[in-house]
Amino acid sequence: MSTGTITPYRSEQRPGRDDFPHLLRSEWTKFRTVRGWLIAMVAAVLLSALAVVAIASAANGKQNPAANPTVAIGPDGEAVTDNFYFVHQPLTGNGSITVRVTSLTDAEQPGQPPFGNVSQPWAKAGIILKASSKPGSAYAAVMATPGHGVRMQYNYTHDLAGLSGTPSAASPRWLRLTRSGDTITGYDSTDGTHWTKIGTVTLAGLPPAVKAGLFAASPQYVQGGQGFANNSGPGGIDTRITATFDHVSLRDGRPGGTWTAGRIGFPTGPEGRFHCTASGPQQPGHYHGKCAPGAVPLSGSIIAGSGGTYTVTQNGGEIGPYVTNVDPLGTVLKGTAVGLLAVIALGALFITAEYRRGLIRTTFAASPRRGRVLAAKAIVIGSVTFVAGLIGAAIALPIAERKLHSGGWASSVFPIWSLTSGRGLQIVVGTAGLLAVAAILALSAGAVLRRSAGAITAVVVLLIVPLILGVVLPQGPADWLLRLTPAAAFGLQQGTPQYSQVMHICQPYNGCFPLSPWNGFLVACAWAAAALGLAAYLLRRRDV
Amino acid sequence: MSTAVRAEWTKLRTVPSTGWLLLTAVVLTVGVSTLETVVVKCPASCSDDTTKVSLTGVLVGQAAVAVLAVLVVTGEYSSGMIRITLTAVPRRITALAAKAIVLTGVVLATGAIAVAGSVLAGRYILPGNGFTGAHGSLALSLGAGPTLRAAAGSVLYLALVALLSLGLATALRDSGASITVLLGLLYIVPLLTDLGTLDPRWEHRLQEWGPMTAGLAIQATRNLKSLPIGPWPGLGVLALWAAGALLAGGLLLRLRDA
Repeated sequence: MSTGTITPYRSEQRPGRDDFPHLLRSEWTKFRTVRGWLIAMVAAVLLSALAVVAIASAANGKQNPAANPTVAIGPDGEAVTDNFYFVHQPLTGNGSITVRVTSLTDAEQPGQPPFGNVSQPWAKAGIILKASSKPGSAYAAVMATPGHGVRMQYNYTHDLAGLSGTPSAASPRWLRLTRSGDTITGYDSTDGTHWTKIGTVTLAGLPPAVKAGLFAASPQYVQGGQGFANNSGPGGIDTRITATFDHVSLRDGRPGGTWTAGRIGFPTGPEGRFHCTASGPQQPGHYHGKCAPGAVPLSGSIIAGSGGTYTVTQNGGEIGPYVTNVDPLGTVLKGTAVGLLAVIALGALFITAEYRRGLIRTTFAASPRRGRVLAAKAIVIGSVTFVAGLIGAAIALPIAERKLHSGGWASSVFPIWSLTSGRGLQIVVGTAGLLAVAAILALSAGAVLRRSAGAITAVVVLLIVPLILGVVLPQGPADWLLRLTPAAAFGLQQGTPQYSQVMHICQPYNGCFPLSPWNGFLVACAWAAAALGLAAYLLRRRDV
Repeated sequence: MSTAVRAEWTKLRTVPSTGWLLLTAVVLTVGVSTLETVVVKCPASCSDDTTKVSLTGVLVGQAAVAVLAVLVVTGEYSSGMIRITLTAVPRRITALAAKAIVLTGVVLATGAIAVAGSVLAGRYILPGNGFTGAHGSLALSLGAGPTLRAAAGSVLYLALVALLSLGLATALRDSGASITVLLGLLYIVPLLTDLGTLDPRWEHRLQEWGPMTAGLAIQATRNLKSLPIGPWPGLGVLALWAAGALLAGGLLLRLRDA
């Protein structure tokens, strides 16, 4: 018998590599090779884009009075409120206007039932340079406010902060505006000698002679929030501002002129309502220049007193952006909930299908480090969902906006956001991010519960039910619900601009979210991170 | 039939997830209702429908009931048990009917507990919040006709949601797909109609025909004229949805292999 050497068998295969990129690749292979998952992802995104466009077509603005209100149009095409009385002189060429404010109070207009301490924090009294008397024309103003100190505001949507504190005889506020060509600079001071610059603005196309003067405006005081199913929404209380100006000086190289009283805007106020004093019944409606019988037209009175002092009393009025209570774009974008459900299902199925088929044992045998497996799954499903959501939102947003505007929603009040504008990007990237976070949340829930039905329901209850409950609960609890649950991320889809210089109650009933959009997204991300942590912990502790 | 019912009851009660899901349904319903009654106060909104306020939790608890109903069917499909069930009960409609009977019984019992808990919470908390009968507010009392109708109707609502889920799950056979379609049907419609931007005709249609929006009309006891659909007709719409789903499920069960 020959004892020949037998070469031992050596496998031709190279040893497998156990690094993260290969793990990612295997998870991606699992995702793309299951019949139906990739198609389902594409279908989900297409369906939600379709749903958004369909809802936009059904969002009829023609019968909704809030869709096309009577507003003035500002220099940038936005809807503005521009109603105030002032005394003015022409300022020709370069020059400045200076004033000292020694007192400022704001309270509710007499003749109404007492509401307690009603002081509009954004009531305004100060100096203004206005391009013309047409409502919506360009302006720059420096003003004192009861609640926010000295502000410089220009062209309705811009607001800069100056000195804080309310003016009084002991601590007055000096305000100055200087014009040099198209550039206007605002200054404030406490003693009239040391001036601090508040800001410089360029108002394009200012005429050579602008109206420079003293003005006051006192918007409505908004109080209350939504009740159960919005039974009692916020109410507005008419207010009146009283201020004292002195040391008024206007320098433009021309001999002194006379102050003329002027009115911008009015008789149709922000909601088409003639602002009448409460000596008669206050009734809404268009009055075409008249008040209801018995009521007297609003007067702003800037009365020249002795020694160059002016006493200013102004009922109502407002110079600022027009703030609407409806958010049609946000509502229409809720159509993404259709795709969101499918994305949640896919995220949960990505791991629960492995449990059901028993593939999970192979997966954990091939990659014993279970935390990395979960991370790889999260990255794969998150990125696929993000890309798909980005494409879907980028397609749906312009179409939906066009349909809204052809349906009667005025573009001055509800701007058309282009895909490259800040808000447009926020909506598109935010929607994609929301979908990705939902998928990762569903993946974690699936890993924790190991059954798809429970995981999907849990994520839907956390993400979609708060939106429904937020409409039904009263203001405070609704706000808390929309701050604490992942549904806060839906704030990224808000379509109407928010302004901090207007007193406004943000009601979930109107589609307004309490947190700022990206903060809401952070809340959702925190939930996803916590869920991933819990899932990783349980995966390591359990058998499979 | 009675053996089929007994078999289904055995299956349902010996699976641990049933107990957990029913407990979750009760906890969610009573919890959300209590939260709602605690925060709604009379000086701010005295004209609120106190019965509807105290029954708000049903809209969250229905999710757990829906999951239970879906799992009753899809659990059999995923474990392969369906072949044994259909072999033991060849008359498939009988098997489906037995599931429906057992499920309805269980959900009615659980729903009664959940709704009773919610109404009791409302009964004891609301007067402390100012709803004493003054200022046009309603004190909650189960003896009053409309309140009884709202409470009993909510229990029926939960049973109908369970039957709708059962039918849908029998048609789709997959738990993930069924629960997704079901939650979409239930929750997407109010999401769209709540924000008031839609064409009023579409909004009215959706509120009249959506399973959840129509079904929850049974809970209203005030301003019935201003509702898009009346209480009992609304529950009838949900019953139509459940009947349609069961019909589709039963047909597919008979026509398909397993």
